[in-house]
Amino acid sequence: MRRLLLALLLALPGCRGAHPEDPARVTLQVFAASSLTEAFGELERSFEAAHPGVDVRLTFAGSQVLRLQIEQGAAADVFASANPEHLQALRAEGHVAPPVDFATNELVVVVPLDDPAGVRSFADLPNARRLVIGAEAVPVGRYTRRLLDRAAETLGADFVAAVRARVVSVEHNVRLVRAKVELGEADAAIVYRTDAAATERVRVVEIPPALNVRARYPIAVTTRAAAPETAARFVAFVRSPAGRGALERHGFRAAP
Amino acid sequence: MGALLAATLLSLLVLPLGALALSTSIDDLTAGAAHPLFGPALALSLRTTLLSLAFTLLTGTPLAWWLARSTSRAARLTELLVDLPIVVPPAVIGVALLQTFGRRGVLGPPLESLGVTIPFTEVAVLLAQVVVAAPFYVQAAANAFRKVDPDTLIVARSLGASAPTAFLRVAVPIALPGLVAGASLAWARALGEFGATLLFAGNMPGRTQTMPLAIFAALEADVRLAVVFALVLAAMGGALLLALRLAPALWRRRRGAA
Repeated sequence: MRRLLLALLLALPGCRGAHPEDPARVTLQVFAASSLTEAFGELERSFEAAHPGVDVRLTFAGSQVLRLQIEQGAAADVFASANPEHLQALRAEGHVAPPVDFATNELVVVVPLDDPAGVRSFADLPNARRLVIGAEAVPVGRYTRRLLDRAAETLGADFVAAVRARVVSVEHNVRLVRAKVELGEADAAIVYRTDAAATERVRVVEIPPALNVRARYPIAVTTRAAAPETAARFVAFVRSPAGRGALERHGFRAAP
Repeated sequence: MGALLAATLLSLLVLPLGALALSTSIDDLTAGAAHPLFGPALALSLRTTLLSLAFTLLTGTPLAWWLARSTSRAARLTELLVDLPIVVPPAVIGVALLQTFGRRGVLGPPLESLGVTIPFTEVAVLLAQVVVAAPFYVQAAANAFRKVDPDTLIVARSLGASAPTAFLRVAVPIALPGLVAGASLAWARALGEFGATLLFAGNMPGRTQTMPLAIFAALEADVRLAVVFALVLAAMGGALLLALRLAPALWRRRRGAA
């Protein structure tokens, strides 16, 4: 009986020990922030086309959740975070090799296609009766608060107070923020440019460049990577001209 | 053999929560309880789950009674429909609720013209809980009512009891253990409700952020805080489930003494 249970456990995919890297058949586990969903989907396809035998498996979640999973021993080879903090912490704990920036992102306001509240510019934001933003604990929420702090300096504290009063929900990830506008339930939301680019059901309202906040995206190979060579090759690919092209097609700006 | 299998499941159920409890110190607990998100979320969770339970009992009991009594095809079909929300992922239920009560929903615009908006309010929290939790009560209550022998009701009626009296004084006491089990299950499910609430009611501290949402918010900021919140939720759930389980026996004893 005990042997049967053990056999059952070993049959589960995650329970097997690390195998030496066989270049003909490698599974590369890539953990990436939710905002990278579309861009990394494209990178996966082109990387697999260029490296037959490599199967890239993508896992998307909030950067904090992915960090927690890596700290708890999740089998990730590469981690691409929407925020430098989490990778720095993982680096300090010895879970990842030194990270490198590969992309930047910025904030935009999105409104439903029919723009029911008449939000045509960033200064119109208080027109929204229902505004949805990211929670303070997640990167998009922190960037949004930094944006509002800057707006307070130029557009005045009253503007920011009016905006804050319209917030009906603070969401835990940027896709949930966007969903509220896509469903027409929120009049406006603040998301990354890339999230706006990934749907046709929202309209973008630009934030003045002087106020906007730039988000850095770092990437690193984990120290327990089962396929470290392929992982390093994937990171190099993300930063290659082909990788940069894919990132830019999805609204990112490739890091210099 | 049987004991080994049972022990396997039991340890799977108990070990994770035990590990959580063991990894937490008293200092963590007091720090967690002092956190500004904690009090409002706990109060909101208690208030909304008790209200949604009251609503479920009030509306679910007559529905369950009909399901148990009726042999019609309509009743069997209804039984199936009542069970459906259990199968559907809660986040999808949240979207479905938005498409019902939201701005572009079926009932949203007429309600809005009456000045009633439901999404992102405490009412939305409550409705989400009712939809995900009520099926558990209705199912258990219908099964409990099926154990009530129709003859005992006929006898009660022949002795002069009105239909409501016969139901309340004869059927409900017989079915009580099943009703209580169903109510506890529904209440526990409502307390843990996350996905439908997140979509339909949003996450606004002090307004729509229930304990599970606060736990998720804490998880993004500080894992230890999330653990403390979860332990408090688990302890509260355990205490209330215990109370509900003991209630029928106490009630019977008091009635026996009277």
